[in-house]
Amino acid sequence: MFEDPLLLARLQFALTAATHYMFVALTLGLAPYILTTQLVATLRGDRSRVTAVRFWGGLYLVNYGMGILSGLVMELQLALNWSGLHEMFGYSFAAPLALETMTAFFVESTFLGLWIFGWNRMGGWAHLACFAVVTATAYASAWWVLVANGFLRNPVGFEVVDGVAHLTDPVSLMTNPAALLAFGHIVTGATLVGALVVAATSAYHLIRRNDPHGIFRRGIRYATLVMCVLPIPVAAFGGVQFGLFGQDPPTSGLTYDAAGIEAVEAANPGGPLLHAANATGDITMMTAWSLMFLLGPVMLLAWPFGGLDRWRWFLVPLVATPFLPYLASVGGWVFRETNRQPWTVVHHLTTADAVTPMPPAMALVSFGFFTVAFAVLAAVTYWLLVRYARRGPEGGPLADPRPPGDPEGPGEPAAPVHTY
Amino acid sequence: MDSMDILSSALLALLVVGYLVLAGSDVGLGMLMPHVARGPDQRRRVVSAIAPYFLASEVWLVSTVGVLAGLFPALEHHAVAALWPVLVALLVGWLVRDAGLWLRARVDGDRWHLACDGAIVAGSWTLAAAWGLVVAGLLTDGLTMSPFTPLCTIAVTSLFALRGAAFGAERLVGPADSESADVAARDTRTLARIALGAVALTAASAPLPGGPAPDDGTALAAAVALTAVLLAVLVATSGLAGPMLSRHTSALAIAVPGLVVALAARLPAEPIPSTVAVFVWAFLVPVVPVMFVGQVWLYRMTRRPAVTPTFFA
Repeated sequence: MFEDPLLLARLQFALTAATHYMFVALTLGLAPYILTTQLVATLRGDRSRVTAVRFWGGLYLVNYGMGILSGLVMELQLALNWSGLHEMFGYSFAAPLALETMTAFFVESTFLGLWIFGWNRMGGWAHLACFAVVTATAYASAWWVLVANGFLRNPVGFEVVDGVAHLTDPVSLMTNPAALLAFGHIVTGATLVGALVVAATSAYHLIRRNDPHGIFRRGIRYATLVMCVLPIPVAAFGGVQFGLFGQDPPTSGLTYDAAGIEAVEAANPGGPLLHAANATGDITMMTAWSLMFLLGPVMLLAWPFGGLDRWRWFLVPLVATPFLPYLASVGGWVFRETNRQPWTVVHHLTTADAVTPMPPAMALVSFGFFTVAFAVLAAVTYWLLVRYARRGPEGGPLADPRPPGDPEGPGEPAAPVHTY
Repeated sequence: MDSMDILSSALLALLVVGYLVLAGSDVGLGMLMPHVARGPDQRRRVVSAIAPYFLASEVWLVSTVGVLAGLFPALEHHAVAALWPVLVALLVGWLVRDAGLWLRARVDGDRWHLACDGAIVAGSWTLAAAWGLVVAGLLTDGLTMSPFTPLCTIAVTSLFALRGAAFGAERLVGPADSESADVAARDTRTLARIALGAVALTAASAPLPGGPAPDDGTALAAAVALTAVLLAVLVATSGLAGPMLSRHTSALAIAVPGLVVALAARLPAEPIPSTVAVFVWAFLVPVVPVMFVGQVWLYRMTRRPAVTPTFFA
């Protein structure tokens, strides 16, 4: 099984993408919440909300670090392992990725650095603006990536010149329904991830009656509202995409004729592993969604009775709820990506033709290293997230180093510091 | 070549050179950490010197990969085909180094810090050496069994170290009992001499079989001129004024390998389809001011190092 570089490259992609997306989802889900909290904190000069921003922001950064690490591997492995895809679709599929790296990630990472190092160094509004840029570019990044991913499912807007796809219609590339619907699905789904992580953390501290700043009573109320409002749009954006299944992309026929497409699909029926993964992904996604759909109304019912703050028996199970949106997300991606097989670009490029010709031994070494490294890093990040969530606002990685009641020093240096 | 192609090639070269100059600082200092830092406190200061910059410097490489994929797929395919194992090693070094940087301050324990510092050092060396092999491989159309390959690798690696020493000489100035900055400043001269020797040997080995074979006279002239600049810069840095000059000379020196590859290597060039070029540039141009402001603001803001521990160290 492990001597086939194609299988290894596919497994590596699946693992990298699934791991990467779990951290991306929390980034997308938390960013708007942190931004809103920081906006209110800046407007009102509310110190308890500043503490909240530092707390959720600390979790955001721990999570973001792993998002970057897996994102780097994600981008590089696309180039390294799937050179057939880049050879044929560099000028179409990879163009949105090029824009993602420069207009989204470049800006996001720089301004995140400004936000991290800008605490106590810049004015409140400038600091808020930095996080606004971080949030906007995080979503822009998701958008560009999904434009590229949607292109694989529903390739549009190009002509084939000497076996290479040349972009002819950037507008249809960007308004590709396979990308737009996926973006809606991802944005709403990621908000569920963020909301339930906030809910679980809040529940953990409310059970212990540890909420001096009101961070967690606000958090669990936010999560309740999100869980009431968003599961329906998530399902709607997901469900509409089923309508795209089985439809031929508008560019069908440019590379293979109808008989050729049929021959490729008949020759690659997909093994039992593929079908099992596809079905499992679908069932996991649907089950987790159904449970989340019920969760919001239940939380809403508990609200008027003060149950969100006081009922320990009610809060205890909430601590485990973040597993639901994570399972749904990974299941959804497995379902989406396996559905496309045997094509990498539907009706244009098969997965077998897209993979880089690699020496099997090296493919195995590379696969082994990245799998182990990802397992270790993801486990460490999960452990850190849980640890910081439990510690609460006082022990967070962004917690204010200045002692309370001392607004100026020793945040400002007593001794002169070398400037460059 | 129409103007769009020239503009796009200039963008690619700018991103590569920008990466080498900016990331060279924090990668190089990571390489030198065991040498310039003694004890846990000094190592913490080294990491806190690296931390504000790596976030803003590695994005140049991410963008390089993006531009290669979207605008220069033939070149990307050429590089991947010729250098697949080296690029995987580069990615491994990058991942290990960043993991060390992101995770270091998360656990308060000497063994944890030591492990993360080890990851930063090992990752930095792997990155620098992989860049040396990439430069050699692109110049010789795939890695060859010639003396040029190892010599070029050593030369590029030493340029990274020199850049790191120059960066450390400025960034590590701190309490009177900390010698890190002085050690780094002294290192600039030693490293400049090592780099000088390595570059001279690399240049001397170039005509040997398996060495780089420039396409035409222009490419050869560009390579010779750039190497001459590099040698002159390194001679200047080797002198008594080396530590004072190194801030700028090390930047110039590490830019040279990128420029030599851009101007003298035999890289596949094909015209970029105009629609995709217009598409990319139309979205890129409005964002350039934001990219610029972010980078300059971050570098200016962190000129004064944080006194209290930050997120990274």
